Amino acid sequence: MVRGSFQRLKNNSVELLSVVSALIIWQVTAVYIVQNKFFLPSFTDVAQAFIITVSRQGVFPFLSMNLELPVLLVDTLYSLMHFSIGLVAALAIGIPVGMLMGWFRSVERVFDPLIEIVRPIPPLAWIPFAIIWIGLNPFGAGFVIFIGSLFPIIINTFTGFKSVPRIYVEAAKVLGCNTDRELMRRVAIPSALPSIAAGVRIAMGVGWMCLVAAEMFGVSRNGLGFKIWHNYYLHHMDFVLVYMLVLGFLGLLIDRLLRSYLEDKFFKWRTGVVM
Amino acid sequence: MRYRTSTKLYAFSLLIIFIIAAVLISGCAERDTEPQQVSTLTFGYQPSTHQIAYLTAKDQGWWDEDLSPLGVQTINDRLFPTGAPEMSAMLAGEIDVAYVGAAPFVAAASSGLDAKIVAAAQIQGSDIVLRNDLPYEGPENLRGLRIATFPPGTIQDTLLRDWLRDNGINPDTEVDIRPMGPGDAVTALSAGQVDAVFLPHPSPTEIEMQGIGRTVVQSGEMEEDHACCVVVVSGRLIRDHPDVVQQIVATHVRATQYDTGHVDEAAVTFADDQGMNVSVVEKSLADWDGTWVADPGVIINSTVEYAQVQYDQGTINTQLTQDDLFDLSFYEALDQ
Repeated sequence: MVRGSFQRLKNNSVELLSVVSALIIWQVTAVYIVQNKFFLPSFTDVAQAFIITVSRQGVFPFLSMNLELPVLLVDTLYSLMHFSIGLVAALAIGIPVGMLMGWFRSVERVFDPLIEIVRPIPPLAWIPFAIIWIGLNPFGAGFVIFIGSLFPIIINTFTGFKSVPRIYVEAAKVLGCNTDRELMRRVAIPSALPSIAAGVRIAMGVGWMCLVAAEMFGVSRNGLGFKIWHNYYLHHMDFVLVYMLVLGFLGLLIDRLLRSYLEDKFFKWRTGVVM
Repeated sequence: MRYRTSTKLYAFSLLIIFIIAAVLISGCAERDTEPQQVSTLTFGYQPSTHQIAYLTAKDQGWWDEDLSPLGVQTINDRLFPTGAPEMSAMLAGEIDVAYVGAAPFVAAASSGLDAKIVAAAQIQGSDIVLRNDLPYEGPENLRGLRIATFPPGTIQDTLLRDWLRDNGINPDTEVDIRPMGPGDAVTALSAGQVDAVFLPHPSPTEIEMQGIGRTVVQSGEMEEDHACCVVVVSGRLIRDHPDVVQQIVATHVRATQYDTGHVDEAAVTFADDQGMNVSVVEKSLADWDGTWVADPGVIINSTVEYAQVQYDQGTINTQLTQDDLFDLSFYEALDQ
């Protein structure tokens, strides 16, 4: 068993060496070269800030209960709530719109110019309307994330549907699929699925990046993005880095989870395909 | 064999990256040992009538006129929405002189900002503005409401929390204080998303003139003659170029005195700079309880108290004294 662990460690030695070297370079650079915690807090400063953040308690309201949890967990739960609201809304609207645009030329002609006008507007610019239309609540933050996530989903779903090989459609028709609904269900959706999945992955990445903007305008007093701003206002850059790193690691985790879920559920047929 | 070669290559790459990073970062963090002639000064300020003295001196050309004989050829300025990002810019060495609230300066000083207050800019001048449909007879009416104000570490946040606590209201649990910039706060009040705002002028007057809310408490009622905006100068400038700092204080005093005697002109200067309606600024200056003062002696106790309040609130980790925050020598030298 010990030998197995040692072997695994040896196999991953390059990756391990890479991370450890980066941490050493960071520590040496911060302590001996920069010598200023505001410009660059050292790794040990950030580790200390992380311990403080984990040891502090916060309150998370859940089903009329006030759960007392580590403040970092409370912030994470708030951010996941904001993120889920935005992403679910983007999926619920983006996928059907992209599918209809990709399948029906008339729908594409109606929506395409509107989407192309709105798409380049940064999610940050929607904050005044998030306050006015939605309000200072989790849905306000979700709205900003929704704006960031919506267009990658629409565009990729649309592209996936546009790229369905004609021969599949014709073969399906020969085999008895005659209605648009049947063709979309039996042919277009399975064919476009890799493109839709790529769109969802991109949307999740963009939505996660929008979290910091979504929590900067007073929607709540918790959240990873909110705490980045809060600590920045107080010039606590070590805490800013803690929350940035947590955001980064969580983003990576969410992406990995999505990928493994999609590959297990939908893309087993691609095993062995050279991508 | 192949493994050893790749490890060697990897170690060599890391060494190169480390050397490049060290050279680049040491360049960024390089500190001058010899004081050099200061040819460029950068001022920071905010879109508030509290800091009109800076704009008056700029508009009249006094900064250029007074500082060019001392070698200052270029004067830049940067506009900030609130004091917190302005102080971050000063911590990063982006600005030399800041017109800023005393509380954000306290927060920055506790984080190691090498700078001192050399003059006051103004006292009081912020209002709690409540939605028109909500009653107000005293602080008790604010219990349970959602109030938008500037972020933690600012004058408004510090003062509001302290005042609520003095009136038996827990600012963390019994009111919902939302940190935001002035634009977002006014938008949130207009949209009915917050019940009240606590903002510096001219925002309260703008809100009143739009018919959205009314002033119910002026900050002078919360704490009489409380410190608000101050003039902060970097420690480097104080140590290496005291003559320049002396002149900055003198020009600031001149502009403050001029504004006090020419309020209408000050209103036009501010309105022009911000692209605002002059009538709003004039009304704001007629309604506010603020006073432009340059004497830092007036605000010492109040500023030190902010430092204590912020320390008690856990916003800052170090207890700061008058000597940590003020350098009165430049203002005192003017009187001699």
